[in-house]
Amino acid sequence: MAVKIHVTRPTKIELARLKKRLRLAKRIQKIIKDRLSILVMEFLQTVRESAEVRERLQKEYEEAYKALSLSVGYHGYAQVEQSLMVSSMPFSLHASTRNVAGVTLPTFQMEQDRDSSSWFSPAEDSSLIEYASSAAQRCLSGTVELAELQSALELLGDEINKVKRVNNALEYSVIPGLDATIKYLSMKFEERDREEVARLKYVKLLIEKREAYAY
Amino acid sequence: MPTDQGPDDVIARYLGGEIGAMNAQLPKARKTLTELLHEEHPRVVCLDGSEHSFKIDELKFLASILDDRERNELLLPMIIEVHSGRSELVVRSRRGVEAKVLARVLDMPVSVEKTGIRIYRSQLGSVRRALKTATQYVFTL
Repeated sequence: MAVKIHVTRPTKIELARLKKRLRLAKRIQKIIKDRLSILVMEFLQTVRESAEVRERLQKEYEEAYKALSLSVGYHGYAQVEQSLMVSSMPFSLHASTRNVAGVTLPTFQMEQDRDSSSWFSPAEDSSLIEYASSAAQRCLSGTVELAELQSALELLGDEINKVKRVNNALEYSVIPGLDATIKYLSMKFEERDREEVARLKYVKLLIEKREAYAY
Repeated sequence: MPTDQGPDDVIARYLGGEIGAMNAQLPKARKTLTELLHEEHPRVVCLDGSEHSFKIDELKFLASILDDRERNELLLPMIIEVHSGRSELVVRSRRGVEAKVLARVLDMPVSVEKTGIRIYRSQLGSVRRALKTATQYVFTL
């Protein structure tokens, strides 16, 4: 890739300024690389957790559907439906945010109401329905957990892409550009110095010749 | 060689902003574990105005391994310093309560140094897994 040389003024002050900027860019690139590694680590950890929760959730759903079909088979649709209609959800969902290396991720907290310990009353409903309800409750909390992890995955993935772009821009464009400009300016100043030396030598030679003729 | 009037100031401003954005999630003021346990929705306000919430399960876990005095001393979130170019990380600790927490999480003794508690990148996964919301990163040069 061709590197562009940015020269506003070919002066020594400009060269010093560019060297300072190069140092800053290199330091920032180090931090960005650190952040990238942290984000990738968090992303992989979230992937692992997400896979675990997904696997657990699949088992819980299987169990819940089995329990539901058992209770429907035992009590019939009418009674199960009636029980479901009178039941209310004794919990609330609190959504908030948490920060991971500069990325704001959502968190969901399921809070069970203190008044009711279960969706169903054991006195009115059978143990089958109660078991199905508790299995469904576990499924719900697992789904909430999975939703949190999935959204975290998406947001972390987006941020990793962004940070990678910044890192690539620094690595392949900004830093090589600054390097090339510094090299170009240094060569220009060296050339100027050499010209100056040659000019001085020529002037010295002229003076010597003039002095020789004078004698 | 091709020359170009480059957007130098834009780059400089962008690079400066990048560091600010990385550490904008730091809390304005940390809270003790006891304070957080008494809150219905435990959280701290960050420098950028956003909120960082704590998982109640994590707070309960921390409360289970600490006594009353330590609960009053432990400031949350715990800050994990990431120094550029260094392989190890430092958990800021003033009173050493953090060492007890980390020793429990890592299942090995940890020592408190002047700068804090040194942990290695390989241990970071275990710490973050156990204390997802109770820890936060800070990036330093």
